[in-house]
Amino acid sequence: MGQEMVKLWDSIPGFDFNPEIDLPELNSWFFDGTHSVPLLTPMYAWHWIRHCGHGSQYSAEVLSMPRYKGFTFRDHEGATYIGMRIVRDEAEVAKRTAKFKENSIPWIEDFDGIWAKQRQELVSMYDKLKAVDLDKASNIDLIHHLWDMISTSRRMWEIHFQGMNVSYAAFLLLEDLVKPYGLTSESPEFQDMFRGFDNYVFKVDRKLWELAKDAMSMGLGDIILNTPQEQVMGKIEQAKNGKDWLKKLHAFLAVDGWRMVRMMDFNEPYWLEDPSVVIAPIKAFIKKGGDYDLDGMTRKLAQGREKAIANLLAKVPKEEKPWFEALIKLGGKTGSFSEEHDLFCELHCHAVQRRGLLGIGRRLAAAGTIDKPDDIWFLNPDEVERVLGAPEFHKLQYIANRRRKRWEEIRFSQVPPVHTVRKDIQEAVGMDLLPSADAIIIKIVVGELPRVRPELKADIYGVCGAPGVAEGPAKVNMTYAELDKVQKGDILVCPGTNPAWTPVFGLVKAVVSDRGGTLSHTAIVGREYGLPTLVNTFTGTATIKTGQRIRVNATEGTLYILDK
Amino acid sequence: MIYWFEELGREHNDVVGKKCANLGQMTRMGLAVPPGFALSLEAYRLFVKESGLAVEMEKYVQKFGDLKGQGITVFDEMSKTLRSMIESREIPGSLKTQILGYYKDLSRRLGIDDPAVSVRSAGTESRPGMFETYLNVRGQEQLLEKVKKVWASAYTSRAIAFRANKGFPIIGDELGVAIPKMVNARASGITFTVDPVTADDSKILLEANWGLGEGVVSGAESVDGFVVDKESMEITARHVGSKVKCVVYTKEGADWADVPEPMQNMPCISDEEIIEIAKVAKSAEQSLGGPQDMEWAVDQDLEFPKSLFWLQTRPAKVAAKKKVSATSHIADLIAKKFGGV
Repeated sequence: MGQEMVKLWDSIPGFDFNPEIDLPELNSWFFDGTHSVPLLTPMYAWHWIRHCGHGSQYSAEVLSMPRYKGFTFRDHEGATYIGMRIVRDEAEVAKRTAKFKENSIPWIEDFDGIWAKQRQELVSMYDKLKAVDLDKASNIDLIHHLWDMISTSRRMWEIHFQGMNVSYAAFLLLEDLVKPYGLTSESPEFQDMFRGFDNYVFKVDRKLWELAKDAMSMGLGDIILNTPQEQVMGKIEQAKNGKDWLKKLHAFLAVDGWRMVRMMDFNEPYWLEDPSVVIAPIKAFIKKGGDYDLDGMTRKLAQGREKAIANLLAKVPKEEKPWFEALIKLGGKTGSFSEEHDLFCELHCHAVQRRGLLGIGRRLAAAGTIDKPDDIWFLNPDEVERVLGAPEFHKLQYIANRRRKRWEEIRFSQVPPVHTVRKDIQEAVGMDLLPSADAIIIKIVVGELPRVRPELKADIYGVCGAPGVAEGPAKVNMTYAELDKVQKGDILVCPGTNPAWTPVFGLVKAVVSDRGGTLSHTAIVGREYGLPTLVNTFTGTATIKTGQRIRVNATEGTLYILDK
Repeated sequence: MIYWFEELGREHNDVVGKKCANLGQMTRMGLAVPPGFALSLEAYRLFVKESGLAVEMEKYVQKFGDLKGQGITVFDEMSKTLRSMIESREIPGSLKTQILGYYKDLSRRLGIDDPAVSVRSAGTESRPGMFETYLNVRGQEQLLEKVKKVWASAYTSRAIAFRANKGFPIIGDELGVAIPKMVNARASGITFTVDPVTADDSKILLEANWGLGEGVVSGAESVDGFVVDKESMEITARHVGSKVKCVVYTKEGADWADVPEPMQNMPCISDEEIIEIAKVAKSAEQSLGGPQDMEWAVDQDLEFPKSLFWLQTRPAKVAAKKKVSATSHIADLIAKKFGGV
């Protein structure tokens, strides 16, 4: 029987979901709909399932998270399930708490300083990997490169969680502390305190916006708007001013191009690799129109933030003000650091890994071990290592082609939100998720559960990611590639978003996501762009059809389909 | 009925009132407190009982019925009547003899005829500034008169209004009386072992003026200010104020007077005195187990360090809570949130 399970997918030995073993151990396994839709390719899942879980455990250990020893992942045909390792023995909790307090102090004192050092460490690891000339490297060099990429990925995930754990802890604490002032994490007055940060993600957006403005003033706007993605680079190059504009584009990509289109997988390109993918966000800015004022919007949000903070502080007793203010600042890292670290952690690291793995894929394809370089996504590193020393002796098509076929069949299929021994998802969340106090999983990955209020007669209920009401045509969008089709004034309905999607936020009227909580990318970016954002609807993309008129009331957590 | 300060301690608060008990406690701790004696609350009770005042005052007050929310004119009228009732009544013979006996003993101890004393009110509860104090009181007649005036100060309009509005009986606030020898103060001042505004407890703060302590406590004049570091015991900041006025003895009592011009911008205490004051204050804080607000005076007739006298100490009232660093407070809260039960 266990044999049966392993045969189904078999790509991540030891981490395949096995209900008979895994359910009794941790009781509930929650689907990570934020990161594994569309379902992950085997090569990515192999890294993610191991290293992201390890990073969570590492951070829980070095910080000594009181009630939590990190999560562990299981894979089920590219769907990720999360099991929480909750410390339930109070004596152990007390010990861990004392250490936690001590270990969190350096972060409270110098969050930015510690993050700057870690950022430096990451960038220098990436630089080493980028220095390898993949086509000149020997087969053995490539095996070493594979190992180096694996250890870089592992270290990236170790770094990834520490700043998040601290800043999210501060955010959760704030949520408690503002209750006496009549605020919750869903109230606009609260969310306003975490908007308008001039973080690195936003800086990149601004550069894209500048490029869009340049394209318009250089007469390239129409070409960008009306040419299909695969021809657009050629058309621009032939146009008057085209070469000058491309120079600007390449200068931008040299700095900011190590950025995956899809954050959690290797199977879509990074910007520097395929500049045409950057045209989509630039196009979004052009559609938005020349008078669109990105800076003005951030300025307004930043002013709103200052005002919201001042309003709250005015109510806080004088002697509590200094630490309250410091805590708001630390909690604010959820809005700035949390998006920025994606650029330096996942988006950059995965771009470097994609580069290296494609290099290996080319070598294997050339030797006939696989049919084409990107079949590498359907192998795992163990299988690659087995053949890479002398690939011409081996064939891996029997694995790669079978897995690719299966993946293509199921990549958009719906999977159960939870496997649990509990009565239902509410009980599972209450017993096996919330006690961990891990904000990352509670607020991002699994998200808060929507409150269904039958008296509102909504078609879909969700959680308010950013307040507001909007009405318009729905655009159901499953992948980055489809973003190109989003029109100004649409309401974006998607499984979830990642930082690469941000430019379309400037285009749409509202955003609806299947999964993700109040601290998910979708919610954070929705707040940054001042868009009504409804998250964790679970069934949004399955229920709503492109073109239907819908009304989103994010503030009260409802969605109405107006023409059924 | 009457006690020397050295016979008293904090436990006698309800017997002799707070100020007297405090002076006793300070004497016990070895602080140089001006010698003197204390009239217990019982002495006052005896006075009103034997003189028949107790009955008369009760009767008078009953006429007014419920006083809550009454205007000030009523309280003024009551105050005038009740105070004059007390002040005009003879102190019964035995009590009078006892008081004068202690005064004579004090005179003998000091080797001075009719020594100048201050006559200070001592309630069992702290009501700063509500009751009267008389300075530079000399001779038997003056002493008895000022004792009655202190007792009567339980019936100022303010004190009556306070009790009426709190729903306390109008006949109340029986007072003890502290009678210490007057320090012939060249300079006086107050000392905080914590910054009352910022709650910084690493420093000792001094404020000082020429003359009697009333010239500092009233806060009306520009005074000298000094800061001493509690650890190194070094003077870390000094501000010499333009001390235009100070409080000095007059023939009877004390009053504001002009400071002679050359002295106005001169520090009124020496560095040696500042350090000594800070040292004593630090040790008082340690033995009393908390930051103190203390009053002291430097006697011009005696030599340093014998010239330094302590008149009062009480727990310092601090506006801000002790400053815990924001970091450790946040760490505390986060730990409690995630590890708490």
